[in-house]
Amino acid sequence: MSSAETKLKAGRRNSRSEQVIVFSVASQRFAIALESVQEIRSADSLAGAATELGQAILKKVRHKLERNGRTYYVVNAGQHFGLAVTRPTLVLVLRKVRACALVDRIEEMLEITVVRALPRAFTGEERRWYRGLALIGDSVIPVVNPTGFLTPEEISLLDSARAAAAAAEAASAETEGVTAP
Amino acid sequence: MSATAPVSERSFVLLRLTARRFALPAETVIELVVPGSLQIFPHTDPLFLGVLVRRGQVVPVVDVAQVVAGPEVRQRKFYLIATRRFGASREWCAIPVMGDCELVTATPEAPEEGAPDYITGALQLGDEQVPILNLDTVFAGRAADQSPAEVPA
Repeated sequence: MSSAETKLKAGRRNSRSEQVIVFSVASQRFAIALESVQEIRSADSLAGAATELGQAILKKVRHKLERNGRTYYVVNAGQHFGLAVTRPTLVLVLRKVRACALVDRIEEMLEITVVRALPRAFTGEERRWYRGLALIGDSVIPVVNPTGFLTPEEISLLDSARAAAAAAEAASAETEGVTAP
Repeated sequence: MSATAPVSERSFVLLRLTARRFALPAETVIELVVPGSLQIFPHTDPLFLGVLVRRGQVVPVVDVAQVVAGPEVRQRKFYLIATRRFGASREWCAIPVMGDCELVTATPEAPEEGAPDYITGALQLGDEQVPILNLDTVFAGRAADQSPAEVPA
């Protein structure tokens, strides 16, 4: 085989691979495409930046984060996946979706070449949660679908509740302004 | 004189899910394996125990016993890998079974009156009547989409 053919094959192989971040929640490992993560922050850093949602519309979403004029909802990944309650230490700020994910820790970064489709026997919400499964060593790790953290309906619900809360707050401030001496 | 079995006779694999044995058409059975490392990840179906990696395939492990034999659970020693139909294709699934499986050739009879849809017949083996299980209908109403088996990353 010529060196040009070898390079071409190597190029094809690389074009199929992708970088993933392997993170864990309640001892369960997940992978997410590196390109779908905009930023990784410590959960502590949310203290000043995130606002607690007054009303618990979704159990898994307690906070929102304002960034570049957009509102991101902070999803507790443990509650999202139905795992044991943990103390998340990191926040994955996601690209292209208005969600951040609270996770326990980052395990490693890897390059994977194939994401296997979830077996069709799985028919529940996991089909939305995962893009597929990655075989990493002897382990099967679900590859998270970033858009699966919040459905459009859930985002719409959260937006509506946020708008209603803002309107109520404005009305309350107006009333206080009228009654104040 | 032909040595082949009569047309009405078919091969079945007998498996013990709980105290009772069931039969699967032999053509749907792939192999019997000892439990390797069961891989678990979050999902929403309580019948799924996890997945196995077998011959490069990710095989869901389905606790069929919960459906066909009730909540009685005993120690299962092996996984029987069989196929389930999804549209025009078939997909492997692993069923935890209690012990060795047996290959028999027998003539299927009609199922007991009132048997659930997933019992398509019965085998009379001595005093024992063994229901024939149809894995495709055990999970009726759970049809998944027709996504490809493997997609590039």
